[in-house]
Amino acid sequence: MPAASAIKTLVVDDQLTMRALIRNGLQQLGFTQIEEAVDGEDALRRLIQNPVHLVLSDFNMPKLDGLSLLRALRSHGPTRQVAFIMLTGRADNELVQRAAQFGVNNYLVKPFTVTTLKGKIEQVFGALT
Amino acid sequence: MTGRAVETSRKVHVTQGEHHVSDDPSVVATTVLGSCVAACLHDPVAGLGGMNHFLLPDDGGRDDAGAIRYGAYAMEVLINSLLKKGASRQRLQAKVFGGARMFDGLSDVGATNAVFIRRFLDDEGIPLVSESLGGQAARRVEFWPASGRARVRTTTTAPAGRPARPAPEPAGDVELF
Repeated sequence: MPAASAIKTLVVDDQLTMRALIRNGLQQLGFTQIEEAVDGEDALRRLIQNPVHLVLSDFNMPKLDGLSLLRALRSHGPTRQVAFIMLTGRADNELVQRAAQFGVNNYLVKPFTVTTLKGKIEQVFGALT
Repeated sequence: MTGRAVETSRKVHVTQGEHHVSDDPSVVATTVLGSCVAACLHDPVAGLGGMNHFLLPDDGGRDDAGAIRYGAYAMEVLINSLLKKGASRQRLQAKVFGGARMFDGLSDVGATNAVFIRRFLDDEGIPLVSESLGGQAARRVEFWPASGRARVRTTTTAPAGRPARPAPEPAGDVELF
């Protein structure tokens, strides 16, 4: 049972409002090590310099979208194993299937509650303490 | 807009939970709002825009984060549709409407909607170039996505459970360039 406070997390979304909501949800779950990136390119740069355990990433973003970010992480040795949860909209079933092919660990359909966020993270890491 | 252009315009009605994006100069997006909010975003360089129409869930203020989540998602869907069609996030401008107090009650969901959309646009750095929010009257909104022109008509209907009295804003067409 991992402690939420031990899981280093990167939240990737081009909307400040969405990043703030996710950060708030993570903090409610006990997460304390939370970084933010504004798009896939920003995320990739941060992850290469400062690896994390969990990436929560939007799909539709400028510069580098979520799927391209996932592919880049899976093809780069040090980031190959990072847990990756995709944030998606209702109509993106095809995207989820493509993301699964590239090794996504889970996905979250927006708008989601903190309870759903917790459940998705626990499916990847086990029960949080 | 000329009389001929009006005759050949194609109206697309946007109901609650929907959005519409277009770069067709003949398209006019229309909606009718009470407590709901419609955000009309426009990229003047790309010549395209879009309108959404949403109502944040009202639980008497017990779960403000839930309401914000819903609104942020509604806005994201519209913004992503615009970006897919070639809009630039940095060029987006907003006109917002609605958020009226239609019924007397403990909570004013219209005000919650209005506060949300102003805050969202400010946080996201999207300029709010005009607005018609609040009050107690329903609104009929027309928005030409290609040009960014908007027109709002307010009604004089008083909210339920309240004697009729003048609306806080004048009824009739207001051209918001």
